[in-house]
Amino acid sequence: MGLSETHGPFDGTLSIVYECPVCSHRIAMLTNRAETQMVRSLGVKIGGRQTEAEPMETLRSSLAVPRDGEPEQAASRSKCPFTGVVSEAFAAPETPEFEWMPEAKARIEAIPPFIREMVQQNVEEYARQHGYRRIDEAVMDEVKGALGM
Amino acid sequence: MKTYHDIASDGGSRILEQVSAQQERLTARLSSVRRIVAIASGKGGVGKSTLTAMLAAALGQQSCRVGILDADLNGPSMAHMMGVRRHVPIPANGSVSPALAANDVAVMSMDMFLPADSTPLLWRAPSQQNAFTWRSMVEMSALRELLSDTDWGKLDVLLIDLPPGSDRIQNLADLLPDLSGVIIVTTPAAVAQMVVSRSITLATDVAGLAVIGLVENMTSFACPVCSHQQRLFPAAPDTRSLAEEHDLAYLGSIPFDSQLARQLDHGRCFVSTSPDSPASRAIFSVARSVHTRLNL
Ligand SMILES: Nc1ncnc2c1ncn2[C@@H]1O[C@H](COP(=O)(O)OP(=O)(O)OP(=O)(O)O)[C@@H](O)[C@H]1O
Ligand SMILES: [Mg+2]
Repeated sequence: MGLSETHGPFDGTLSIVYECPVCSHRIAMLTNRAETQMVRSLGVKIGGRQTEAEPMETLRSSLAVPRDGEPEQAASRSKCPFTGVVSEAFAAPETPEFEWMPEAKARIEAIPPFIREMVQQNVEEYARQHGYRRIDEAVMDEVKGALGM
Repeated sequence: MKTYHDIASDGGSRILEQVSAQQERLTARLSSVRRIVAIASGKGGVGKSTLTAMLAAALGQQSCRVGILDADLNGPSMAHMMGVRRHVPIPANGSVSPALAANDVAVMSMDMFLPADSTPLLWRAPSQQNAFTWRSMVEMSALRELLSDTDWGKLDVLLIDLPPGSDRIQNLADLLPDLSGVIIVTTPAAVAQMVVSRSITLATDVAGLAVIGLVENMTSFACPVCSHQQRLFPAAPDTRSLAEEHDLAYLGSIPFDSQLARQLDHGRCFVSTSPDSPASRAIFSVARSVHTRLNL
């Protein structure tokens, strides 16, 4: 799939079209203004909440004209129009979810780039399910055994 | 690559958990508040905010610990009426401090978050077009936060000043299942009573709330020269009959008093400065009645 075209952002709506270079099959991803705004209005974070909500978080971050001295809001300053539109609804992780030990990190980096990310995600998913915060060689071995790699 | 169908539940956002965490936060905060009472009316301009301000002051004088939440996000008036418009709510330890008005009444209002009296309440969005689809949702979130993120401390009673409209009573009942009850305000005008009658039915039959009683405001006007009491709406139906019709307590009637309006406009506490005026005496009487009915 290759990026074919983008439309917008226009009034909070944006679409990105991808096309397969072989069969020309096209798929589109789009943000819907009402849905993005609806989730933001609930005061929840897409992707889960990493830190506890600040007092009056939704109220303060949603005001078009806040009072002087209000904390600076994380406005859509993203360079990417797609994330710019939706980023505020997403949780900004303060700390990474997992601590990768150097030996485990080295083993991940030895994996060919095209599947590295997928393997890393599998390992993290396994760690999440087993309640591990730290990923070391022992966890890697467990995953290897569990997935029959 | 994951497809849409491979994403289990909400893709790990745990929206339901986040929403129930919000509810738990609200319950925890309000666990130190003995009674929560909404001041409501289907009709606008009948004196809900005036009654809230004066009732809070009167109950405060009876050594009750009182808080006021201004739930009129679009037309907030409590901070002004209570003389605490300049208060800046500073976040600390997971909450913000309410303003402290006369008689130690704790006040929280939307206008403490807005820069000027002329700033309308406008929510940030990529577009304001079709904002009706989400506006009430963000307002419910803001209301929830004003309740849950204010450091109310220990209160005997929290009064919630609602904006006009019967639907507001229902929204609040959804947000606060532990609402102790509602005080309904009306004027003796026939049109007000017709609208208010509908709000009472909605509050009791649909929202399942306890109505603490009915207050009639702006009943009469005392001539400043000879003190003769003149009814403001001479041919109006009797509010007592409205209360009887709905099997409600009649909590009292408050006369029109231009001094009361002027004092409130300047953020001064009328029942403290003019405790012997007929309006103050009427307010004290309503407060005693509420005090008894809420078992404060
Ligand atoms: N008893 C009274 N005597 C004199 N003025 C009064 C009295 N009650 C209310 N007022 C005045 O009437 C006006 C409307 O009152 P208030 O704002 O309390 O009504 P409300 O029901 O809260 O209105 P809204 O529906 O807009 O929230 C105010 O200017 C207030 O000062
Ligand atoms: Mg009002």
